[in-house]
Amino acid sequence: MSEQTIEEKNNKVKGFLNKQVFRTLMPLFGLVTIIVIFALLTDMRIVQGNSISLILSQVYVLVIACTGVFMVMTVGGLDLSQGSILGITSIVISALSFYSILLAVIAGIVSGACIGAINGVFHVRFKIPSFIVTICTMYLFRGLCAYITTNSPVAAVTSITSLNDTWFKVLLTLAVLVVVALLFRFTKLGISLRAIGAGETAARFSGIRTDRTKFLVFIAAGALTGFAAFLNVIKVGSITATAGNQLEIQILIALVLGGLPISGGSKVRFSNIIIGTLIFCVLNNGLVMLGLDSAVQQLVKGLIFVIVVTLTIDRKSGQVIK
Amino acid sequence: MGETVLYAENINKSFGITRAVKNVSLSFEKGEIRGLIGENGSGKSTFVSMLCGILPIDAGRFVLDQEELKIRNQVEANRRGVSIIVQEIGTLSGLTVAENIFLGNESRFVKFGIKNTTAMNREASKLLKKYGFNHINASTMIDHYNFEDRKLIEIVKATYFDPKIVVIDETTTALSQFGREELYKHIKRIKEEGNTVIFISHDLSEVIEYTDTISVLRDGDFIDTVKSSEVNEDDLKRLMVGRELGSHYYRTDYGQPMSDEVVLSVENVSVPDELDDISFELHKGEILGFGGLSECGMHELGKAIFAASYDRSGKVSLADGTEIKSIKNAIRHNIAYASKDRDNESLVCNDTIRDNICLPSVDDLAERKILLARKMNKFAKKYADKISVKMTGIDQYVSDLSGGNKQKVVLARWLGKDSDIIVLDSPTRGIDVKVKADIYALMSDLKSRGKSIIMISEEIQELLGMSDRIIIMKNGKISGELMRDPKLCEEDLIAKMV
Amino acid sequence: MNLSDRLQKLKTNKAFGRYYGIALLIIMAFVFWAIFKILTPDNFGSMDKMYFYLQSSIIYSVGACGFYFIVVMGLFDFSIGANIVLSSIVGVILSRQFGYAGLLIGCIACGTIIGLLNGTLYVKLKIPSMIVTVGLMLIYESVASFVAQGKEQSLDKALQAFGHAPGNIILALIAFFVASLILKYTKIGTYCYAIGSNEYVAKNMGINVNKYKLIGFVLLHLLVGVMAILVVSYGTSMRAITGMGSMEFNFTPLMGCFFGLAFRKYNSPIIAIVIGEFIIALIFNGFIAIGAPTTIQNVITGAALLIVVALTIKPAKGAVIK
Repeated sequence: MSEQTIEEKNNKVKGFLNKQVFRTLMPLFGLVTIIVIFALLTDMRIVQGNSISLILSQVYVLVIACTGVFMVMTVGGLDLSQGSILGITSIVISALSFYSILLAVIAGIVSGACIGAINGVFHVRFKIPSFIVTICTMYLFRGLCAYITTNSPVAAVTSITSLNDTWFKVLLTLAVLVVVALLFRFTKLGISLRAIGAGETAARFSGIRTDRTKFLVFIAAGALTGFAAFLNVIKVGSITATAGNQLEIQILIALVLGGLPISGGSKVRFSNIIIGTLIFCVLNNGLVMLGLDSAVQQLVKGLIFVIVVTLTIDRKSGQVIK
Repeated sequence: MGETVLYAENINKSFGITRAVKNVSLSFEKGEIRGLIGENGSGKSTFVSMLCGILPIDAGRFVLDQEELKIRNQVEANRRGVSIIVQEIGTLSGLTVAENIFLGNESRFVKFGIKNTTAMNREASKLLKKYGFNHINASTMIDHYNFEDRKLIEIVKATYFDPKIVVIDETTTALSQFGREELYKHIKRIKEEGNTVIFISHDLSEVIEYTDTISVLRDGDFIDTVKSSEVNEDDLKRLMVGRELGSHYYRTDYGQPMSDEVVLSVENVSVPDELDDISFELHKGEILGFGGLSECGMHELGKAIFAASYDRSGKVSLADGTEIKSIKNAIRHNIAYASKDRDNESLVCNDTIRDNICLPSVDDLAERKILLARKMNKFAKKYADKISVKMTGIDQYVSDLSGGNKQKVVLARWLGKDSDIIVLDSPTRGIDVKVKADIYALMSDLKSRGKSIIMISEEIQELLGMSDRIIIMKNGKISGELMRDPKLCEEDLIAKMV
Repeated sequence: MNLSDRLQKLKTNKAFGRYYGIALLIIMAFVFWAIFKILTPDNFGSMDKMYFYLQSSIIYSVGACGFYFIVVMGLFDFSIGANIVLSSIVGVILSRQFGYAGLLIGCIACGTIIGLLNGTLYVKLKIPSMIVTVGLMLIYESVASFVAQGKEQSLDKALQAFGHAPGNIILALIAFFVASLILKYTKIGTYCYAIGSNEYVAKNMGINVNKYKLIGFVLLHLLVGVMAILVVSYGTSMRAITGMGSMEFNFTPLMGCFFGLAFRKYNSPIIAIVIGEFIIALIFNGFIAIGAPTTIQNVITGAALLIVVALTIKPAKGAVIK
């Protein structure tokens, strides 16, 4: 009897391990698949140099903003306000760029952090679910952004676009990614965030200051987007009312495509951010390259999104899905 | 009596590789009150869950009144005359009392799709009066009633249609004396009406007193059915465990002098509605037991010491005067806490064993803020092995472990932190006998190493067996203090509890 | 019993509770009216203006009532706006052939089909409602674009009866009546609350949870179909929006829905929704009357919703909020 149990146990373990590995490799597999598909469909145009740099140019802002939201989602929250934060912080950076670029960047980060703090306060102190709080702030700051740009777009100092150099942007982006990845992997940040996402009460009883951590996470998300705004400004040069529109949904789709479990917790991986953003941008550009109508592009994106989520979602038996 | 109303034929149920119920065959007679007991993991909850439609049967069948019981959920079970009063909350917030009572059975009040609320409320009121629960109003939202009243409403919900079989699953532990009396009254009534009660409880004296016969399950197997009037608690324990339980289970030393050194001092601690001006001192190397009825406040006291209570007033301080005001501080000053609510408070179930063992110690494990995976792995493995956690590896998710092993993980994390003051709340609740013995041995070992333990427990034998000193609580206050003595017995403790 | 106990007992009495809740709302409405009346006595507050605000607010109230069914169960739906766009386009196109019948049946049938799709996919794929409806929103927007073939769809002048009184009020009242009836006097209402309260227990009680979630989605989108009739009749035309622009339509109904939730314990959610939307309309128009730019509307929406929720939410001590 015990031998049989041990063998069955071994199989169970193998099954489990496979699943874990499956979860990590699946998004990577998805990325490769999508590159291959589009390479074939576009006669390899998509893997040409200028196509790649076009794709990359869209990656920077998205991936940095995703890093912040990744942390929010790891603790089980949702942040739908990032688009509006990008808009406001881009305006701040543009406006202050006339004095000093460095000052502008710092101001952008700080203003993003402030909005993040508002999110944090209403969520942590007033105990409102994060998705409601961030929908409200999204709306609020979207309106503010529109108001500020009512008469004319906010232009940054013209010299700022000289910074729009690929290597510069790559460097900045990598710097952010590396720093956050290291923090997540090699400090108690990772284990704490995952514990809060997996079991907040128990995390609190283990000595993690859950309220403070959640508050800081929202601030971090805002600050990171504030930094991403800098990369946005050097690309576009001036900010209109629609700056950052729909960024939050793009972030959500990118992270989901990257395999991030919607409820966060211990199964999140930092690679979700990078792979997800790449899949999203390749998909976006691939569809444009195929010369498809924008409505058709959207249809394809919607379908792929639903399919990918169906395949990758972490379903535990008996779990209630809302 | 004498006529069989229900029999179970070769019932089987497995969860993955675990065989929870193995070929259990039982029969029940009309008008019988049958106790069903067994250690955790014995299969009794799984067995009744299948009877009541909560879980599907893998193999075997139930036959009720000569007709096979083929049901898919509780409501179908109710229609065949089988119902259950569950251990946790069985009523739904956001609905009225009447809606809760008739949930799933509204059809008789529905005509052309329209629900006749007035008629439903009237029926519910009639029932509540019949049961003598005059303080409960049928049309009020159930949220306005406390846990006990909601349980009373559940009694109405489970028995108003004169079911042939009523299962009462560990309901009494959460009720006050008044609630229990009400329950016993209804159990008697059901018997008098010729119907059958299956009564599950861990309280062996209660089972012996209120049942006609008792069936014992162990490890998924059916052991025996005995007459309640012919057995005592030790007999039952022997059947449940399968071996003689010697007193070497607990500590065997008496008369050891207690150190004078105070390690923790609790002064005038109060929590609104739970604790009222509690003061005591904990000595080095002492095992201080806390006992009392369920709602006496001792569980809340454990949380208060760990600074996990909301609105706590008063002072909890260490020997050197440091006040403990937050959980993080408590942990940093080497206080540990193992909650009664293991799955929600002591363990992050959806996380690995490694993460759980390392969490309280992350600050210590980090060298200049850097936390290396290798270090964490070594740490977790060391303490998991020290306490013999049965696992497939430290990467295994805690949710896959059995109750006993979960508790071992909880203890492993505090061993790893090398805490000096350990607050254990119901440390052996829901744990099988073998692991229980391991835990008691661990407690003795910690004591001998100079650690101090506060043990909060509802098991009187455990308190008597393990504590150097026992403080009894009643209604949020301390009502008595007793010293370790071989002549100390249950009655002495109970006298102070009620 | 002292005064506060007495008040508490009164509040729990069903009949009194309902009037207490309604009275509170009416007082709130009056307070806001008074504020803006005082600030700008000439531009605001006249009876015919009020009548006008009421008419625009009931359009959103219809959608909000539908939303209520699924929010009560803990679900969410991002595709409401897309439904409005698609259903109204379908309705207008059919109205060219079949007049009013085409308009009414087109919008309602389209809405119902969307509801069936959303509900079925949610139940079968086992993906959280928030996620799956983001994908579906993308899909419906593109479908709308196909159907409209890029052209703005205008409703014939002769068929605009539902764009003004009494047509719009009658239609809205019918919708409110039906929603109220279903909520209070059928099993659907009870079961929706039961599922929202504790899905696991509800399932054990024999409630076919999946069936009622599906019904919830169908009801939601059916009512949104009705809202589409009102929207297109009032605006006289609809153009297909892509790029997730339809999200704009999601939020005002959501706010009304929150009013309904907040006043749920006073047993009159539908009325709370209607009055709540009216209050929101008052606030919007009040701000415009005092000269605030239209972009400020979003700022108000966001801030107001945040404040309303902060004041009305009362989670238990130690409860985990995500």
